[in-house]
Amino acid sequence: MSTDNKKNLNSFLSFKLGDEIYAANVSKVLNILEMVKITPVPKSPSYMKGVINLRGTVLPVIDTRIKFGMSATEFKTNTCILVLDVIVDNESLMVGALADSVQEVLEIAPEQILPPPNIGSKFRTEFISGMFKLNDEQFIMLLDMDKIFTSDELSHMAESSTLDAVLE
Amino acid sequence: MDNFQKRFLEEAIDLINDLEKASLALDANQSDKGIIEEIFRIMHSLKGGSAMFGFVKADHFTHNLESVFDLVRKGKIPVDDNIITITFSSIDLLKALFNENEDLAESVLPDVEKLVVVMKNIVGATAVNTGSIAAKPAANQNETIGKRKCFYVLFKPQASLFKNGTNPLYLTDELCSLGTCFVFPRLNEIPAWASMDPTSAYIWWDILIEGDISHDQVKDVFIFVEDYCQLKIEELKVSGLSQKTELLEKYKTQAINVETLTIELASNKEQETEDTNKQRKVVNGIKNLKEINNNNSIRVDSSKIDKMMNLVSELITTQARLSLFSETIDSPELSAVTENMQKLSKQLRDTAFSISLIPLQHLVTRFQRLVRDVAAEIKKDVAFETEGTETTELDRSIIDSLNEPIMHILRNSLDHGLETSEERVRKGKSPQGKILMKAFYSGTYVYIQLIDDGAGIDPERIRAKAVANGIISADAVLTQKEIYNLVFMAGFSTAAVVTDLSGRGVGMDVVRRKITDIRGEVEIDSKVDVGTTITIKIPLTLSIVDGLLVEIDSHNFIFPLSSVDKIYAVDHKQMSDFSQLVTLEGERIPYYNLSYEFTGVAKEVDVEQIVVVRFENQKVGIVIDKVLGEYQAVLKPLGKLYRNQDFISGASILGDGSLALVADPNKIIKKFANN
Repeated sequence: MSTDNKKNLNSFLSFKLGDEIYAANVSKVLNILEMVKITPVPKSPSYMKGVINLRGTVLPVIDTRIKFGMSATEFKTNTCILVLDVIVDNESLMVGALADSVQEVLEIAPEQILPPPNIGSKFRTEFISGMFKLNDEQFIMLLDMDKIFTSDELSHMAESSTLDAVLE
Repeated sequence: MDNFQKRFLEEAIDLINDLEKASLALDANQSDKGIIEEIFRIMHSLKGGSAMFGFVKADHFTHNLESVFDLVRKGKIPVDDNIITITFSSIDLLKALFNENEDLAESVLPDVEKLVVVMKNIVGATAVNTGSIAAKPAANQNETIGKRKCFYVLFKPQASLFKNGTNPLYLTDELCSLGTCFVFPRLNEIPAWASMDPTSAYIWWDILIEGDISHDQVKDVFIFVEDYCQLKIEELKVSGLSQKTELLEKYKTQAINVETLTIELASNKEQETEDTNKQRKVVNGIKNLKEINNNNSIRVDSSKIDKMMNLVSELITTQARLSLFSETIDSPELSAVTENMQKLSKQLRDTAFSISLIPLQHLVTRFQRLVRDVAAEIKKDVAFETEGTETTELDRSIIDSLNEPIMHILRNSLDHGLETSEERVRKGKSPQGKILMKAFYSGTYVYIQLIDDGAGIDPERIRAKAVANGIISADAVLTQKEIYNLVFMAGFSTAAVVTDLSGRGVGMDVVRRKITDIRGEVEIDSKVDVGTTITIKIPLTLSIVDGLLVEIDSHNFIFPLSSVDKIYAVDHKQMSDFSQLVTLEGERIPYYNLSYEFTGVAKEVDVEQIVVVRFENQKVGIVIDKVLGEYQAVLKPLGKLYRNQDFISGASILGDGSLALVADPNKIIKKFANN
């Protein structure tokens, strides 16, 4: 069991948002779903795409690209939904995150993880816990999935929803 | 703590709750013998159980309590407020003693000891009193003899009795303590010395007992040996045993035969016999009722019920898929089976629902207790009444979350609402204040009203206070209703003096938050010097609703059918886009176009579909794109990510696996009315 856990801690699932490759710890990823019809919830912030039926439970889905400051996800054949288990206010929560495509599972030892960039990024960086250099050519950004849904973010969401309402 | 102890703990908690209920009944009707007997019975079971399962402290405590009530039921101590107070304190201590948290049980021990001393004093004082009563002239005794009863007891232990650690002499001693007792040991079955086994019981007893006792009392003495002996208890319809000395002398050597004894002792008191018979019938009736209650209910772990509810929800969703599928296949057999399934699953749903519902009465004991204690503390005379709480049922989880808010409201009523007796008399009201808790169904909502006939709330005072606290500005124009709603704002309290009970300003906003958490609403209405009414409105069910499936902007939405008044198709020209009013059946009602409100794009349609719903006693129209039909929706929460979209109460899975959002028309109207 302990070896399994350790392996889990070092395994990351990489996925693409636009041209960038991101990775989330596999212990956070419960499932990868093909794209299904998403039912939008009116009057919610634009990055909250809506809800889907995941085997009888209602799963909220967020558009990760909008969340990270990119343009909205376009739905293509490779577009998929990562079902994540995140901790929000000390409570476990299931949430779906859109990804342009899923790449592979990488084994990354802790010593291979580089500190996150602190300046010069064009995207929001507070969700990035570290960097990993794949094959010495491309950087992968390791995401702290829990942070994306902290209560700060939620209250921010409340504001942006009213803002959205005003904009509409 | 082992399994048996845990099991007994559950039982003990039930017993304590029963005890509390009975004590409250006794408080209301202090002379009711039946209730006293009931209390004694509960205490006896508690004592027996705690001794058996090794709760030594509780055993000791209940024993003393039982002694007190023993005297009460014998009429040696009158039921007064003192006794009742002791009973209630005991109940609180028992709750602590029978607790899995052993630290808590330890912490109350000093209080337990104190109370035991008080109880011992009572019992001691009465012993002296009875001594003096006994010294009274015999004429007096003869009067009381009329009420005395006489029993014949045959007690024939099995040979193995000693092996259980029972000493039969203790039993006869206990019997003797109940009244005048004549014990005749029978030695005729003792075998010859050589063949006698000293560990077996051979002696049996004929016992005559006379006193102010009941059949049950005599039986209780043998409660733990019932299974190990031959026991016969018969009431003799005679009295004045002690005067028949020759007879008693005779029985010293001769076994008692009940028939002949009755004849020999008979004295003509038929009137009395009839009375006792009647009484016994009533007692038996009550007993039967209790047995029925016991046999017809079982204890079920609440997680099992939750699981069942989940499965039923799944079943209904699957059922919807099956119905949809069978429509596409032309097979009479399949549609017959599907239809049958539909009926069955609907029945199953209703049954499963009723299982998870419990009557509101469940909470009432606690409230009665609170009102009683608080009223005594602040020296107000208050009657707490309930109406409809036994027939109004709610989901267990809702009932639990209602406890705290209602407690708050009651405390407020007691502390600020109701006046003291003098003040009430001065105002020309009856000296006793009244709080009524009224519960009833209306549509798919349950209403709980807490009505007091106290001083009421002066809207001007609330206003002044709100202005002073900076909640509203001094020139704000508010309706009466809006003013009362200010009470629910955080940090609002009108109490001049902060008391122990309330007045810290944390009460009413917590009340409202707790009620909103279960999708309920709370409102205040008040008239100065007439009283205050607080109405709590809660949805009946949290999980399955009969709904109206509609389409808005090519997405499916469900409105609870209960909130839908009528559906109209209206020519767009009749609607005023500017004032947002439409005339329907001669009535001008406001409307909201949801497609427009959701997307911000107005559509050009010739004929609009309007669903008319009731909102705060007026009609409001909701314009939708298309009505699809009726749908039984299993409500699933959207989760906390969507907590700001509270006008959507959840989502439901449709037959084809897609989702429809379940909208709450009240909240939709509130939301768009404000914009």
